[in-house]
Amino acid sequence: MKLKISLKQIATPTKIFMTLLIVLLAVSILQGIILQIERTFAHAKQRPSTTKPEAELTEEEKRIDRIRNSAKYFLADGTIHLVHKPRRTPTRIDEPEIAQIYDANDNLLWEGPDNRRPYRYLSWAMQLRRYSFTRERMKQMQMLTPGFSRNIEIPVSSYNKTEQIWRYYPGAEYFKGYNTNGEKIGYIGSTGFTDSKLKAKPFGKFGFFTAWCPQDSVSPTLLWQTQRHIYQIDFEKQNVEMIFESADSDIEIERTSLHAWRDLKPGAEGSSDPKKYRPLLICGTEDGKYHLILREPRQQLNLDVPHPSVTATKKNIFVRNYWGDVMPPADIAGSRELFDKWMEERRGKPRNLWIELYKVDNQGGLELLNRYDWTVPEPSMAVVKARDPRPAVKRYVSQISPPFYDYVLRLFGRKFWSRALNYQNRGDFFYSLARMVLDIQPYGGVINRVLSALMMIFVFLHGWPRRASWPKFVFWLVFVGLFNLAGLLTYLGLNHIAVIRCPVCGRRRGLAQVDCVRCQAELPAPEKGKLDLIFRT
Amino acid sequence: MRFSALLRKELRECLPWMLLAAIAFLALGGFFLRAKAYYEGDRLYSRLSPGTIVDHYQLTFYPTLNFTGPWFFCLSIGLGLVLGIRQFWIPHFTRTWPFLLHRSISRKSILAAKLSAALIACVISMGSVWVGLYWYANRPEVFPIPQTVRVFIEGWIFIMLGLVVYLGTALSGLSTANWYTTKIFGLVFATFIIVTTLSQWTLVGIFAVIAVSVAVLLVQIFDTFLRREY
Repeated sequence: MKLKISLKQIATPTKIFMTLLIVLLAVSILQGIILQIERTFAHAKQRPSTTKPEAELTEEEKRIDRIRNSAKYFLADGTIHLVHKPRRTPTRIDEPEIAQIYDANDNLLWEGPDNRRPYRYLSWAMQLRRYSFTRERMKQMQMLTPGFSRNIEIPVSSYNKTEQIWRYYPGAEYFKGYNTNGEKIGYIGSTGFTDSKLKAKPFGKFGFFTAWCPQDSVSPTLLWQTQRHIYQIDFEKQNVEMIFESADSDIEIERTSLHAWRDLKPGAEGSSDPKKYRPLLICGTEDGKYHLILREPRQQLNLDVPHPSVTATKKNIFVRNYWGDVMPPADIAGSRELFDKWMEERRGKPRNLWIELYKVDNQGGLELLNRYDWTVPEPSMAVVKARDPRPAVKRYVSQISPPFYDYVLRLFGRKFWSRALNYQNRGDFFYSLARMVLDIQPYGGVINRVLSALMMIFVFLHGWPRRASWPKFVFWLVFVGLFNLAGLLTYLGLNHIAVIRCPVCGRRRGLAQVDCVRCQAELPAPEKGKLDLIFRT
Repeated sequence: MRFSALLRKELRECLPWMLLAAIAFLALGGFFLRAKAYYEGDRLYSRLSPGTIVDHYQLTFYPTLNFTGPWFFCLSIGLGLVLGIRQFWIPHFTRTWPFLLHRSISRKSILAAKLSAALIACVISMGSVWVGLYWYANRPEVFPIPQTVRVFIEGWIFIMLGLVVYLGTALSGLSTANWYTTKIFGLVFATFIIVTTLSQWTLVGIFAVIAVSVAVLLVQIFDTFLRREY
């Protein structure tokens, strides 16, 4: 009997938890289906462009449009050129791509096929998003699938035959090597190669890696970034070189760029002219600093420029800064109120953009070589001033979402959610859950609260004759108020209580307890020969 | 003594399904493992070119046992489903619950015998074959590169997911609600747990999800079984 009582006390909440979870999921799926249908139809109806046709533009508008759409390139002496590629005739895929090269004063310098440009512009360090293996991918790789989780395995090959395999162990944060005849070779960690597990030191929390095969090898070399370090790992030579260490701040994961760093064959994607450029790596740390690491000769500099593009020729180091007044100053960006005010002030005004080229001295100081400014008109966009800025369909669909989402989001505060929704947490289950909740939260919508109130009234009317105890009755009212449609469905799912007319007071009463909730009269004993109390009444 | 007799009776009822699952897993797993071993030399042929960037998908590999995985996963889930139906739905269809419950033994012991039998059936049939396949795949003459311990643990997670499905089926079988209301919620919950488990990337997260789900289902199964009228 004791077990039954204690079990019931636990079983009821678990049943509510399980049912609510399933119903919440069902409601979310329903909302997702509606939103997806709307998105599909909206996409089909979308017009290709809202700008004026080219024929209707004035000469000045055409010039502004051309400048805006031109690529801005620098020569090694600091001269800027604007390279414009007119649209091809839609039906003529075979005709060559034409480039028009203008100088800063809008004089046409050259026009011809794009692949025959007479100028050699500076190429810049590129971020490694496309070819890098990020932390998110590492998480996806470790996810359990019906085919198990995956491993990172680096082959060391000779004449296309793999001779060694180095497998990464995410828990231990080092590589373990095997010969293809099954023998263990050793370990590669932050301190290099070792044949002992005890001596192997972990690399640290994984950030990202990128891999390439040098020109004289078919074995990959890895650039391996962790929270505080960047290493270059040569598995063939079993060598680990620490490229960069950040003592005070974490390295930003997707802000690392390379230029002429990898020993790639000429013409291969990502390759640069090794005779013209110095190998260069630039990474950002979370304290807002940028660190430039150069080779031939080795050099390390700190840069104080927001989001710089960098390149280093054999003679000079250059920084390119592309900026404009589309982004608020740092002191305004930190405050929501100031940001809104700033946005309001500049709404409808044209945007000023500029590109600057700096030469970097040996101490990391910048000398401005050239600057080009241009203005583009503000695109006409509808201004949504509602509290909930989301599209109308999403606003309406979220009216059946639980108000509980709003309370939870408010309870933990903006700091907690911005930390939880940090891009570094992508791939986490909680991250996806939080994203989903943010997407369908009711945003304090009036319709949502009215719906919740109506559902509470329904539950009050439904539960009043069926109530067995006041706490339970109040609990369900609050529950439905908090969870809206999901709460109502859970309530209905878990409260199948038959109702009869009380033989004493004649009013409706539930059979969840012996006493009538209205007159407190007990259920009468069945008459002799009439066993069914319900049908009799 | 009464408990062991009940356990033997439940195991006898589970035996055909245990054997079927074990034989199917051994046959399919063994076949795919042998086929994989045959082509292992091909895997060790390097397809990377000198002086080029290496795409990350060229460096990420499923373990050698991965071809056995989908079968293992489906058979575990299937075995859990079948055992749940055999133990909790069939007595309802054949109206044999009173024959089982009238014995002079507590309902708690009867339920414990059923759950223990299912646990033993899953562990012996799927677990023993899995241990065998893992041992075989770790022999250097078959595959030179050994399997990770994580793969072995993930295999046991599949068995646990089978048990979660078993518990979900049992709860659905015991529920007195209509099938179109909350009766199938046990099975829906088990499905939800499988999906949630497959979206975790840490073993700690996976075990936490499974532990919570098993606790939620077990508590309700015991409560329903002890209170239900048959």
